[in-house]
Amino acid sequence: MKKYAVAVSFLFLAVLISFSALAQTGVKKKRPRPQDYGKVVLNAFSEKAGLSGVVFNHWLHRSKFTCRLCHIDIGFGMKAGSTGIRAADNMKGYYCGACHKAGGKANFEACTKKNNSDYPKRCDRCHSLGKVVAFEYEFSAYTAKFPKERYGSGIDWEKAEADGTIKLSDFVEGLSIKKQQLTQSKELELVPKVEGMPDIIFSHTKHTVWNGCAVCHPDIFVGVKKGTTKYTMVEIFEGKYCGACHGNVAFPLMDCQRCHTKHVS
Amino acid sequence: MPYKTRILTLLIIAGAAAAFTLYVLGGREASAKYDIPKALPPEEYGNIVIDRLSTKNGEKPVSFSHWIHRKKHTCRVCHTELEFNMKTNTTEITEAANRQGKFCGACHNGKEHDGVQMFGHTDKTQCSKCHNGNRSAGKDKFKELANLPKNKYGNGVDWSRAVEQGLIKPQHRHTDKPLEADIDKTLKLEAEWFSIPPAIFPHKSHTAWLDCSNCHPDIFNIKKRTTKHFVMSRLLAGEFCGVCHLAVAFPMDDCKRCHPAVVK
Repeated sequence: MKKYAVAVSFLFLAVLISFSALAQTGVKKKRPRPQDYGKVVLNAFSEKAGLSGVVFNHWLHRSKFTCRLCHIDIGFGMKAGSTGIRAADNMKGYYCGACHKAGGKANFEACTKKNNSDYPKRCDRCHSLGKVVAFEYEFSAYTAKFPKERYGSGIDWEKAEADGTIKLSDFVEGLSIKKQQLTQSKELELVPKVEGMPDIIFSHTKHTVWNGCAVCHPDIFVGVKKGTTKYTMVEIFEGKYCGACHGNVAFPLMDCQRCHTKHVS
Repeated sequence: MPYKTRILTLLIIAGAAAAFTLYVLGGREASAKYDIPKALPPEEYGNIVIDRLSTKNGEKPVSFSHWIHRKKHTCRVCHTELEFNMKTNTTEITEAANRQGKFCGACHNGKEHDGVQMFGHTDKTQCSKCHNGNRSAGKDKFKELANLPKNKYGNGVDWSRAVEQGLIKPQHRHTDKPLEADIDKTLKLEAEWFSIPPAIFPHKSHTAWLDCSNCHPDIFNIKKRTTKHFVMSRLLAGEFCGVCHLAVAFPMDDCKRCHPAVVK
């Protein structure tokens, strides 16, 4: 009987291999709509608890807060679902609850047992996966006056911050600590391995506005000395290194010349 | 049944199951795997009919001719900058978006563009220029291609040579500057069958029309030695080179164009 089990699992394996061979396709992926760029679904526990998954759109939050605030001070992971947020955490003032609490920064409470007069409408504001919800903010109306860029969400966030269209908050009461900021304004010139590709100009100044140091260093890039972390475009496309943000939330990787800026002579 | 025979039988069943899955998922008759799609008349090659919302909204579907547009613009202008996807009806083109200057509306806005008065959603008498549901609309303009270098297949035009000889000067940008890369690597791809000479892939003639990101990494990842799935039957099913070279770019009837050593 045991031998049969071995043989049956072999059969499954064979089917699986043939499936995966076909799964690698050579076609162009459909681009996400601007309003869907940076959309993540958090569903570690929601559906198990009988609620819809949480749909989180980066565009609304990034128009008000730095990346660092949520991903460092509040402690959100960089992969959807990896943080494993529970309703109880929010009630205690962690994660979404850091701002979405009574008297907090945000105008509605996340996962509360009190004030349930607006149930389930309030829950739907986040737990909206598969539902038709009329949101307070609509993407195209909200971003109508933002400086435009071609790809991704279609917004030039860097410019929006620089010209004052958006003002980013970098502090949340009770979690952030005011410290003297480290400054780093070094521009790095990175030379690609492929002959004929323009050099990459990496600007610390542009990145630290949103990220401080800790979003990238030392986890993604060791950051002690230029060249310590070795990476390739293949890995970036797989979502590592620059691809941790660029391709998901920050401008997408199809915008080659945004990084490969230095002309080859 | 002795144990060994039993295992052997199961292995055979497993193999057959794997083959069956490949066959069913492939969705193609084994004999049709290498069939080249039936040739269209040259003036219809690369013409598409777009009908995502038109019929639903009481309009005729939109006819779009690649050859009319590629004479004046490179592929990247629409497929990178203007964000047109590569499959018909997958791009969320709406009248509102066009009016906001997106998609077709980036040029077709009723204003002057390169000294030419463009039609657009601004003029109600012009609807049928696009909303005509006719795949061969614009046929009368086809004679404008008569002076371009000839090619046996597709539109009957050697578009690459037309650019090289300066007979057409397609614009390479709408507003965004294209990548100033100088990739001149020619790849030699060995065929899976011993009798077929290798395919030659020149980057240069492709970057004349395209951005890196039109092909990489979606269609061709940039990993080395991972092209084992990149076989003719899959190209003919519209993957890899087949994304363009079945529908718009020269079709695969033109064996010698990629496999130059083919004797035919």
